[in-house]
Amino acid sequence: MIDILLLLFLAITAIAIVRSRDTVTAVMLAGLSSLISACLFLLLDAADVAFTEAAVGAGISTLLMLSALHAVAPTKTRPRKVAWPALAVALLCGGLLAYGTLDLPPFAAPDNPVHQHVANHYLEQTNKEIGVPNVVTAVLASYRGFDTLGEIVVVFTAGLAVLLLIGRRRQEDQDDDAK
Amino acid sequence: MSPMEVIAAVLLGSGALLGVIGGIGLHRMPDFYTRLHAAGVTDTLCSALFLAGLALHFGATLASVKLALIFMFLMFTSPTSCHALANTAFASGLRPWQADSKGSTPPSTP
Amino acid sequence: MLAAAGIAVLVSMALALARALLGPTLYDRILAVNMFGTKTVLFIALIAALVGRGDYLDIALLYALINFIGVIALLRYHEVSAKSGSEPPA
Repeated sequence: MIDILLLLFLAITAIAIVRSRDTVTAVMLAGLSSLISACLFLLLDAADVAFTEAAVGAGISTLLMLSALHAVAPTKTRPRKVAWPALAVALLCGGLLAYGTLDLPPFAAPDNPVHQHVANHYLEQTNKEIGVPNVVTAVLASYRGFDTLGEIVVVFTAGLAVLLLIGRRRQEDQDDDAK
Repeated sequence: MSPMEVIAAVLLGSGALLGVIGGIGLHRMPDFYTRLHAAGVTDTLCSALFLAGLALHFGATLASVKLALIFMFLMFTSPTSCHALANTAFASGLRPWQADSKGSTPPSTP
Repeated sequence: MLAAAGIAVLVSMALALARALLGPTLYDRILAVNMFGTKTVLFIALIAALVGRGDYLDIALLYALINFIGVIALLRYHEVSAKSGSEPPA
């Protein structure tokens, strides 16, 4: 019941982001939608994901987008006409996906096919093979260590690229000031 | 019900009621500055009563200490952000609506 | 009792959301988002009480901090860009 209400809020916020005519309003409403997502994650019993979503989505992301907006002039757009074919295609795809979810097994039932193969092995053998009491940490850092290595490489490369770009822009500003 | 639960229920109920009153005030007030009064004052008091009610519900555990921390933090920052909001709005040119300005309807009535 | 308080907080969140969508000036929207954030802190604390796990309160504390910082950051952005013009933005 609360889930449905929160999802409704999320849908209303998403429509408002698309229809807002000012970029700062859109940034603020995006922070708001991150907040509603954090509440939804909490209701699904995922506390660490809610933590990360609240901190990153509502905090850092809003601040970063605002400081990016600082560098450009504020924009206001005229109201656009609705693109009816695009809306029809989007509704059709969404409707087909929602229809597809009717075939899924009940949520978190213990005899779902996905819980039968590797998950049992992880849950039973973690204490003996790895020795770390937290199963999530054992899966992330030991059983699936290569995936975590790949993620770290991607994030590190992205951060390095951003630093190089910002460093170059600051260098150009200093050169312009020195002239 | 034990007296602690009754007090907790009263605090929670009055806190929630204040929250709804603040929300209604956001819609019925004619102007930004009056809305700021409605939202800011009721927000702080609603959080105080609500968190006190939840702390009584939890009893004397670590959770009550965390709730007291949240309460202290909100007590300091909620009035500060309202003041900052009023300051920035005034500095950027938004003026309060006065009854004797041009036209008899306020600029942003629902 | 907790459920009734939860419904009242959700109603208050819906009212704040409506003002964030309607509000003619930008400051109405910032006010509404601030109020929504505070109500979310209360909602998360309520979920912690309903489910019975006290460690969800860490998330509420985190969000109270971030809400404050976010609103002040928005206001600083506007203060800096308002010095170059004197129109209240929409």
